[in-house]
Amino acid sequence: MISPKKIVGILEQNTLTLIGTIMVAFIIIIGITAPLICPYDPNIMDIPSRLQAPSLAHFFGTDEMGRDVFTRVIYGARISITVGLSIVVIAAGVGCFFGSISGYAGGKVDRVIMACTDMVLSFPSMVLALALTAAMGPGLFNTMLAVCIVRIPLYVRLMRGQVLALKEMQYVRAARTFGERPAKIILRHIIPNCLTPLLVQMTLGIGDAILIASSMSFIGLGAQPPTPEWGAMIATARIYAIDQWWYAAFPGLFILITVMGFNLLGDGIRDILDPRSKD
Amino acid sequence: MEPLLEIRELKKTFKIKNFFGATTEVQALKGISLAINKGESLGIVGESGCGKSTLANLIIRLDEPTDGAIILDGQDISHIKEKELRRLRSRIQIVFQDPYSSLSPRMTVEQILTEPMCVAGTKTFTEMRQKAVELLELVGMRSSNLTRYPHEFSGGQRQRLSIARALTTEPEILILDEPTSALDVSVQAQVLNILTSLQKKMDLTYLFISHNLAVVKYISNRTAVMYRGKVMEIGPSKNILMSPAHPYTKKLLEAVPIVGKPFHQPDTEDASVNEEDILDGCGYYYRCPFAEKKCLGKLPGFIEKANDHLVSCWKV
Amino acid sequence: MENILSIKNLSVSLSGKRGIVPILHNISLEVEAGHILGIVGESGSGKSMTAFAITQLLPGGRKSIVDGSISFCGQDLTKKTETEMTKFRGKEIAMIFQEPMTCLNPVFTIGRQMKDVIMTHQKKNAREATKQAEKMLEQVHIRDAGRVLKCYPYELSGGMRQRVMIAIALSCSPKLLIADEPTTALDVTIQAQIIFLIKEACKATGTGVIFISHDLGVVSQLCDTIAVMYSGQIVEVGSAADVLTHPHHPYTKALLASIPSFTTREDGDDKLSAIPGMVPDPLEHIPGCRFAPRCSYAMDICHNQVPPPQICANGHSLHCHLQREGEN
Repeated sequence: MISPKKIVGILEQNTLTLIGTIMVAFIIIIGITAPLICPYDPNIMDIPSRLQAPSLAHFFGTDEMGRDVFTRVIYGARISITVGLSIVVIAAGVGCFFGSISGYAGGKVDRVIMACTDMVLSFPSMVLALALTAAMGPGLFNTMLAVCIVRIPLYVRLMRGQVLALKEMQYVRAARTFGERPAKIILRHIIPNCLTPLLVQMTLGIGDAILIASSMSFIGLGAQPPTPEWGAMIATARIYAIDQWWYAAFPGLFILITVMGFNLLGDGIRDILDPRSKD
Repeated sequence: MEPLLEIRELKKTFKIKNFFGATTEVQALKGISLAINKGESLGIVGESGCGKSTLANLIIRLDEPTDGAIILDGQDISHIKEKELRRLRSRIQIVFQDPYSSLSPRMTVEQILTEPMCVAGTKTFTEMRQKAVELLELVGMRSSNLTRYPHEFSGGQRQRLSIARALTTEPEILILDEPTSALDVSVQAQVLNILTSLQKKMDLTYLFISHNLAVVKYISNRTAVMYRGKVMEIGPSKNILMSPAHPYTKKLLEAVPIVGKPFHQPDTEDASVNEEDILDGCGYYYRCPFAEKKCLGKLPGFIEKANDHLVSCWKV
Repeated sequence: MENILSIKNLSVSLSGKRGIVPILHNISLEVEAGHILGIVGESGSGKSMTAFAITQLLPGGRKSIVDGSISFCGQDLTKKTETEMTKFRGKEIAMIFQEPMTCLNPVFTIGRQMKDVIMTHQKKNAREATKQAEKMLEQVHIRDAGRVLKCYPYELSGGMRQRVMIAIALSCSPKLLIADEPTTALDVTIQAQIIFLIKEACKATGTGVIFISHDLGVVSQLCDTIAVMYSGQIVEVGSAADVLTHPHHPYTKALLASIPSFTTREDGDDKLSAIPGMVPDPLEHIPGCRFAPRCSYAMDICHNQVPPPQICANGHSLHCHLQREGEN
């Protein structure tokens, strides 16, 4: 249904999407090939080489423990991608489940689910994520869980809105007229037709999730040392920022590339997925 | 002979909540009684707001009536539960008006046609595929279309696919809710031809809803004229449309533009205020040139003007 | 009578995702003051595009390729810039569309919207504009004009909204009114009233009207002249009485034959004659007459050469090789 030719065509027409795709592909590839391309181990300390400027031996310089910043940044990509994807996939999964039930069933079920969603939404997301993580204790896993919970309402609302709109489409009504069960109707008719806004939202959400997770690590609640997570690295780099600029700059740069890449890609996904735009 | 489908005093009220929580009630159907015999084609004609689509929704049980009964082959289906209804669903099917939203955009033609069969669960994959090919041929389309998506077809072809889908469960009654209103005239002719030949071939019973009087006359044996939730007149199509008895039907026919017919200047009363809905009396009271005080009271019920030609009007 | 609008050999191509798509092929039409020209055709015939070409509102805007001339009261509209065109639209050339709900802003009252139009094109202050708005509403037979001016669009029925649209369109006394399927979404009884309104307005003010529709019945009752279009080409032009009761072109004949009629034929015995095949894709390059692949009278020359216009007796213009051969 989605032909490679069409994807290439769209990428050709839309430069920003192309840039976004390249950025995301770059981050994913370096994450996957980390052990192959990194000259050093991310955790082995080498105090004599600490805080060296970027050079041929250390492309991005070294940190205060003598570890190669380049290697740590690349391994950080692994962590960030995993974090981003997990948060979004789980939040979307749970959110869509409740959202579709809420939208399709209506009535009391809808009101209860919406009330719960609204309760979560009434807190500013960062504050709630902070509070949850603080309650559960610092750590990357807890941060991911907290951010996930905070993101779920977004998908509940998105899915509910889609279901409400699509429920009245004639093809859904037709499905009811041959006795199709509600669960099947949602799976076969409704979800495939709201994939586009869902996937767009998810892609944009990955960038967002990575940013929040990094921010949490930055303030010390997320990834704990010695994990080479970008936010955590920037946190430590703060002290050295003036004289050893490379330590904060490179992780920061990679956060920028990753988040921006996913945002640009998310915008372009809509065009790729629409079955109505002709080849 | 017992009618295949009978509707007795069917009423439907919608409750609409406005922003502040106050509810207004809208009576979409104010007591409809109809009967359709097996093999015949009943046309329902009316303008917007007359309730014809609501009637279709109730018969196909996408909604439940507020009052009255829908009797299919002797069984009252108006309020039976979904579980029981599922068994009966294969007997009545519907074709909707909009060819662009009646087929699921992300399913292939094969999936669309085999879905009703999957729900019924009585056939194997090969049998289902075979049946899908047969259905396509019935509506004049090639089997190579099975792998294509709805957006690749024109409006007329999509309506044909909708008809094919409706026939999957071998229904006895087919409700056609304005099936050709969104189509060009020449495409409409193709679809109407298919519908007439299918009716003969498969001994189908049609309930054909439309606002287009000529189309209704072409395809139906009998016609019912609806206005604001009530049936004004019902009888053989020829009689109704060639010698109408009810003032509303007469007005409707005068207004239909036909090639070659001289233009008849309408009375310049205008649709200014949304008139108050009349619940008990004749809904046409405000616009009827013959309206009397007693028209606001109880309606006369059906008066038989001629053979099988019934009119609900004091004037007759 | 003088021609308000004279279109000569107009060809339009739009550039879009699929490349350059020719949508109009060599259209020539004329509208006189006080006359109603009907353009009839099915989907894909290019009738709405003709209207957009006249008002220079084609999708794709200035990227579209326009050939030929559109002469409005002596001025060639194809050579006008966008700024110059805005002076025409609303004032000299008015348009009404099929869905009045989408043409009226739902958050403003009718009165406000009418005042805006009047004050934009005429030098009137607010009070004078309101007075004129009321007068216009009365002219389209809306009782209670004062009350309607205070209403929002959603409070009015479809027929009422269309009347308001006509009032707005006529408020600046345009020379040309283009109506694109204005009655398609309306009930039959309301449709009759709108047709009457347009007729009345046209004769009273001498406005020329182009009425676009796919409904041959409506067009036959309303229009003085009818042009039949198929796939971007004009196939037949003539007086309403002539074209629809004595059609010459095979497409017109086939179209008329596919309409179910009221005059009694034995029910169910006759099939409606449908036109075989489908309307060609605009991108499809057909060297001759675009109807030839579906025409039951097609000859070899029809597939190769575009039939030139042929003027019959009584001014009826025809684009068909068949008639040239003298056969009938």
